[in-house]
Amino acid sequence: MTEGSRSRPAVLAALALSALAPLALLLLASVGRDWFFPAPWPPAMTLESWGDAFRGGGRMAAALGTSLVLAVGTGLAGAAVGWPIGRALADLSGWARHLGASAAFLPVAAPPVALATGLHLSALTAGVAGTTGGVFLSHLVPATGYAALYFLGVFTLFDRRVEDEARTLGAGPRTVLWRVTMPMMRRQLGEAFLLGFLVSWAQVATTLVIGGGRVRTLPLEVFAYLQAGQDRYAATGALLLVIPALLMLGAVRFAVARAEATPL
Amino acid sequence: MTAPALEVRGLSVPFGDAPGLRDIGFTLDPGERLVLLGASGAGKTTLLRAIAGLAPLAAGRLTVGGQDVTARPAESRDAVYLHQTPLLFPHLSIFENVAFPLRIRGYQDSEIRASVAELLESVRLDGLAGRRPHTLSGGQKHRAALARAMAARPAVLLLDEPLAALDPSLRDEVRATLLSLQAHYRPALVIVTHDLEDAAVLGDRIGILLGGTLAQLDQPDRLFQRPASLAVARFLGLPNLVAGSVAAGQFQSALGLIPVEAESPSGPATAAFGTDALRPEPCGSLQGIVRSVQYGPRGATLRVDVAGIELEVVTGAGAIPHPGDELSLGLERDRVTILPGIGDV
Repeated sequence: MTEGSRSRPAVLAALALSALAPLALLLLASVGRDWFFPAPWPPAMTLESWGDAFRGGGRMAAALGTSLVLAVGTGLAGAAVGWPIGRALADLSGWARHLGASAAFLPVAAPPVALATGLHLSALTAGVAGTTGGVFLSHLVPATGYAALYFLGVFTLFDRRVEDEARTLGAGPRTVLWRVTMPMMRRQLGEAFLLGFLVSWAQVATTLVIGGGRVRTLPLEVFAYLQAGQDRYAATGALLLVIPALLMLGAVRFAVARAEATPL
Repeated sequence: MTAPALEVRGLSVPFGDAPGLRDIGFTLDPGERLVLLGASGAGKTTLLRAIAGLAPLAAGRLTVGGQDVTARPAESRDAVYLHQTPLLFPHLSIFENVAFPLRIRGYQDSEIRASVAELLESVRLDGLAGRRPHTLSGGQKHRAALARAMAARPAVLLLDEPLAALDPSLRDEVRATLLSLQAHYRPALVIVTHDLEDAAVLGDRIGILLGGTLAQLDQPDRLFQRPASLAVARFLGLPNLVAGSVAAGQFQSALGLIPVEAESPSGPATAAFGTDALRPEPCGSLQGIVRSVQYGPRGATLRVDVAGIELEVVTGAGAIPHPGDELSLGLERDRVTILPGIGDV
């Protein structure tokens, strides 16, 4: 047994602990009542904040729903818009390609507050400030940037001769897209969707600025609870932010693995 | 009268900024096999892609089965293009790969099942229908790609170096599969290769692409025995190119006088001939000294110095001479082609 293989269990245990310990602490904080420093353990337990999260009409439940709708929409739209942009960029070469990639990178690289400020002017002009649609569009900007850069890498490596051959076998461009290219890229499409989902899911600055406080997403609620000192609700909201993201990651991975294993 | 499977007329295809292919023309009958030979960068693949509708034309006209397809997109040309490496769809089973051309044409499931089963059987992949492409060997992938191409029942099948990436045993296997499928389904074949042996075996006719033009298009025996130009002779690797000149209806060189056709222009010329035009003879017209002997599977290759010109001779019969031996050679003059211009000597 090598030294590396001997230390592997310890490394894995440390990694698992570092991932699970904060979640366990959040879980405890979300159900602990009157838990103040330096008490090592909550003196009493309550599911009040969890009830609010899942009760129809509850503040947190509403924010959770809005976040889910925005994230799923952003994931889908980001992948759909990023695909052709990434492909077009991959077709370019030299300076044009650098310029295009830089343009796609801008909304990713710009500080969220700066991006939100810039987008706010556009949202006001378009009359979508303070609406869910406006917030969706503001999430879509960075999500599209990420997806376009992702697909730029994908299409740079993609062997287009497969499409050429499909064409000569009798498939028109639309058939090639739906029956060859997209099925071949199920995993990449799933990952691009997930990227957009996570970008939207974690947005705070753009939601706050474009939504103007009228569009309440889960991250905004968590901030509000923290500012109000409602740690139990904040911990519940934080867990709710983590869990769907993990579930979505697992679901995408599972769907892709299943699709790749199943003959069509 | 049956329309030609493929007719190419005055085809010009640019290579970026370079002139590219110019004024290419040939006709192919149904079931005929044309092999295109040329050096790397000669435009062989570009020509195939242009015929398939995957590369833009600068000029020219293409007909497939008598239909003008010049302006048609790749999917409507009835010409399937196969790349050197088999590009099976990785997300589909072998069955579905072969079924692909049939599904997009809207065939019924029962017809598809029957047709795919027949094709898979003909390429000996019937037991692997449910497998994914990545689980197949190199030869199996090639056979599956051929079966898929035949499923489209193309009038023309365009094959880009189909045997180049295969080791010798797989080459024979894929070549046999190709010829068997072609004999059954009868598409016209245009095959690009840089291998002279493949060309001779696969081609009913061979085209030589040199300098962007079709330098010669001929049956294999005529091509090798009667190259149309010095450039073709050089490309084919004819070992014996002897410089001389034509005057008064005769080619004159260190080999002596060889009669030429009356219309041959006077001036510098080269006699081109293969090793089969020379043979050791006790009272041959040429006397030389053996410079080297190289043994191979088809006999010994001799380099013989004849009046300061080194000629290549292959001999498989009788005693093999040694370097330094004197050797008398007979030259079959009707196997010698006199070409204008001066070649390597």
